[in-house]
Parts: sequence; C-alpha cells; structure tokens
Amino acid sequence: MFEVKNLSMIYDVNTDAKTYALKGINLELPEKGLVGIIGPSGSGKSTLTYCLSTLKTPTEGSIIYNGKDITKVTGAEREKLRRREFGFVFQKHYLVPYVNALDNVLVAAVEKGPQVSEKAAEFLKGLGLSEKEFRKKPAKLSGGQCQRVAIARAMINDPKVVFADEPTASLDHENAFNVMRILKKYSEERLVLIVTHDKSILKDADRIIEIWDGELSK
Amino acid sequence: MKTRLSAWKYVKNNKRAVAVLVTALALSFMAIYVIHVLLQTTVESFKPITLEIPKKLSYANLSDKAYGVNREDYDTYEDYDAAVGERRGELMESMKRRQGIDNVTYVQILKCLYQAVVGQLSYEVPLLSPGEIQGFLNHVDAKLVEGRMPGGDGEVLVDSAVMKNAGWEIGDWFMKDWYGETFRIVGAIRSKYLVSVGTPMGHTNSGIYLVVYNDETATDLRSILKEEGIKLSEEDVVVDAAKGRELFEKDVEDVIGTVVSVISLIVTIFLVILVMVSYVSFMRNRVNEYCLYASIGYGRGEIYGMILRETLLTFAMGSAIGLLASLGAGAVLTKLVIESKGLVGKLIYGDRILSIFGIYVFIIGMLQIPILACISRIKTIDAIED
Repeated sequence: MFEVKNLSMIYDVNTDAKTYALKGINLELPEKGLVGIIGPSGSGKSTLTYCLSTLKTPTEGSIIYNGKDITKVTGAEREKLRRREFGFVFQKHYLVPYVNALDNVLVAAVEKGPQVSEKAAEFLKGLGLSEKEFRKKPAKLSGGQCQRVAIARAMINDPKVVFADEPTASLDHENAFNVMRILKKYSEERLVLIVTHDKSILKDADRIIEIWDGELSK
Repeated sequence: MKTRLSAWKYVKNNKRAVAVLVTALALSFMAIYVIHVLLQTTVESFKPITLEIPKKLSYANLSDKAYGVNREDYDTYEDYDAAVGERRGELMESMKRRQGIDNVTYVQILKCLYQAVVGQLSYEVPLLSPGEIQGFLNHVDAKLVEGRMPGGDGEVLVDSAVMKNAGWEIGDWFMKDWYGETFRIVGAIRSKYLVSVGTPMGHTNSGIYLVVYNDETATDLRSILKEEGIKLSEEDVVVDAAKGRELFEKDVEDVIGTVVSVISLIVTIFLVILVMVSYVSFMRNRVNEYCLYASIGYGRGEIYGMILRETLLTFAMGSAIGLLASLGAGAVLTKLVIESKGLVGKLIYGDRILSIFGIYVFIIGMLQIPILACISRIKTIDAIED
C-alpha cells in the first residue's frame, strides 16, 4: 500500500545547521495489519506518520500510496485523501467542545443521512459508550471516553489507513488496553499505524518499526 | 462531497457567545432606527407647515419701497402713506383677478411656534375679522372640532395638533410668552395644514402681511408680485411654496439627515469595533477546532464557508430581532411621545431599514478581514503538536 523511498525531512534546510527529522527512510507497508512505529521522543516517528498521512510534505524522497506519489499531489488531493481514505487519532483527542459525542464522530463523516448517524452510534456502542453518553459534550466525558470518540471519528468513513499517534498516552491501563483491542480488530481489514514510545502496547502488532534519530534501525 | 461543518450547531451550542453578538446587533439596529424615527418626526411634522400650508396660503410683508412709491415725491408722511395704501389696494385687486387666487387680504399676523423633537418652527397666524373666519376655514378645509368661533377681539382658533404640541387648552392664552395675556384660545380646529386663525386685538409687533388665498396653481407668490410690478428687495418677506420648500430642504431635511447620518456612523463604528474584537476572540478560542477540520481533510474554503454561514446566521438573527424590537419601540414612541405631542410620526421607514441592512452587509464585509486572516493561519494538528 505504501512504498517509501529515500524519505528525508530536513528542518532549517537553508542554513548550515540542517536538522534531519527523517533521513533516507525506505519502507514498505502492507494493505492491512497493525504496524507499530516505535522510538524515543524526538526520534522522528511522528514526523514519519505525518508525512505518510500528507499532513507534512517531506523535503526529499517519495511516498507511493496505491501507485501514486502523494508527496507530489495538490493540496486539494491531499485533503481528499485525508477525508476519504485516512483516519486520524491524535495524541490529544481534539474533539469539538461544543457538540456532543455523536456529532463529534459525524463531523468527519463524508456522507450524510440517518444511516451514517446509526453507523456512528454503532461505533460508539462498540467502543463501550452508552446512548446517554452519546449526548454528552466532551467536557462531560472522561479522557478514555473522549479518546474512544476520537477513534470512532477516525473510523467513520471506513478509512483504508488509520494513523494513531500515541493513542493511549492519556489513558489508564484498562482504557489503553481497550483502545488497542479496537485498533487491532480494525487492522484485520485495514492498515493501522500506531506511533508510540511504549513497546508494551504493541504486543499484538503484526510488525514493529523502530526509528532512532530519523533513521530506521537495522 | 457534502460538508458536515454545521453553522447552526455552533450557534445552538454557544448560546451565550452568540447571544452577546445578536444582542449587540439587535440593540444597534434599534438604536439607529429609533433615533431615526424620533428625528424624522421633525421632518414629518414640519411638512404641513413648510410644504402644505403654502399650497393654500401665501404671505408677503412688503416694504413701502417695494410698491415703487418715493417718499420724496410727497410733502407729508400722511400723503405718502395714502399713496402706498392706494398702490397696495390696486395690487390686491389685480391679484384677486388672477387665476388660482381666491382672495387677498392685508392683515396683522401672529406667530405660532410648533416644537418638534429637535428644533422648532414658527408660522403665520392671520388675524381676520370674525366675519372672514368661516371663509378662511373653508379655504383650508378646516373644521371646528371643539370650542366656538371667534366672536370678539383677541380670540384665536388653533389647530388641535398644535394645541397638543404646546400643551394648550381652550381658554388658555395663545403664545403668552410672546403676546402676554392678549389672545385667548376659543376653539380647536382640524385640517391637514395645521393652520390657526384669530381676530385682532390692538397692534402686535409681528407685522402686517398680505395674505393670499391661493390654490396649488398659484403658489409662486414671488413671481406673481414681480409680474405685478413689485420690486422685491432683501427687506421684503415672502412666504410661498418656494420659500417653504427651501426651508424644508435646507433647514429641516438636510439638517436632520446629517444628524441621523452622523449618529448612524458613530453607532456603526462602535459596532464594527465590537464585532471585530468579538470575532477575533471567538476565532482565537476555536483555533484547535479549525486545525482539526484541516487535519481530517476539510479544505480552507469549507472552513471559511462554515464561519461565513455562522456569521450570516448571527447577523440574520440580530437583524430580525433588531427589526422587531425597532418596530415595537417605534410604536411605543409614536404612541407615548410623538402623538401625545401633536407631532406627525411614521412607524415604517423602508429606506432606513434598508440602510441598516446595508450597514450590516458592510460590517460582514469588514469581518472578512479577521476571518480571512484566521483562515490563512490555520495549520494542521501536526504543527500544533510539534
């Protein structure tokens, strides 16, 4: 699905003190499965995910996604990919504070109509939220519930790839385990990329990629 | 791809923030409109005196020089005065023969004050003999609605709206501040011209005028007098349709229009500042929300569209509430202040409502500056988390 060739991300590219966030990454990723990207803080794992998900444009190299180099596509095409084919779970949940849990899921939905609302409700139920909690705004939900709403939001369009950046960082052990269980289940059909520095949550991963100082470890 | 970014959800779920803006917009709408209604009362109220009375009555206070009679040609003042009187008599007879002029008299006049919300206007009240008064009332389509017709000296009929305006009752002294206890109000009349009429009592210092009973075909008294050989100078006073129109346009309409424009401008400036500051603050609080939308694939155009729809919705609510509140406040003002003061008011000024909508469209236009500045600064979440 993804074929990454010689990918580099350089900050301060026009100065002598160039900083390499990613350096010559070569990588292939399958169409489905749970892939963990692990490394210490500042190793470049988040940057790699942001490049793969088109949030960042790399300085050098190419990312072939389904046969197309997504580093060369227009802004509108990148938005279309993020809207239709990618799903995101960020470190913080970034829920819209003034709408309820259900509407927070629906905000990402491409289609409209009652069937989409039912689908969002099913997702939330599957993630362990009660119908009463669907109507609650983020301020009235716990951190774990908010993160589960964010996961439902990431999955509402059945994306081909889910990018999850430290999805369990703000969760307790039980909630972290639940979130990973959900992502693992989703990875049976699609690709789930999880960025973390906590190896213990990746025990069910199909593949683990380690990254140090912007380079994949051999 | 249909957008899920709902303007209504923001408005519905942020009632306090939206209410502040809607209230500010509604109050501003009401302030501009109510001030306009109040000030426009002056324009509407002065119309009968400046534009309508001259359709029926014209006045001229001519100097002796205007008649073309030279003092040097006469040995005594009495002879000179008699010559002026003779010339005036010829003029009046000649004018009466003109089409569109029903009558011409030469009488004393009083001045009557009519006070609007802003400003006041004085107009002429002819003093006729009791036998001439009914003819005068017939000429101006006026009817006695209360009291009696003048029968003796120093009695006045006053228009009922003018009586309300001055707070007079039948039996009160007419313009006591000016004429003392000389002219007594004996009746109230009603006509569309707001005229008043009385009988003389000694001599007043308001002057002796030619009073021309004209119809709408002979309202240009200045031209008529010139055609009759009268040499008008700056000393001569001619109150006719042209003079009334000039007074109305320059001293009433333009002045009130300028005051309304200045007040509207001040309110608009305050409103622009308030709305801009509020918007900048609201949008700053929502940066993460916009960044989320950008990250999950919404284009800047869609985010801009959502903010624009929210803005339009807020302004639509503010305008609708403002319009209703303005009409309500206007109705209360008309009933309690304008009508009780014998003034003429209108409730609906379509052009002013449109101009307030225009101001709001202008403010929406101005708001595009902070909105577009905010849109241009939207990042994706990776930039926040870096």
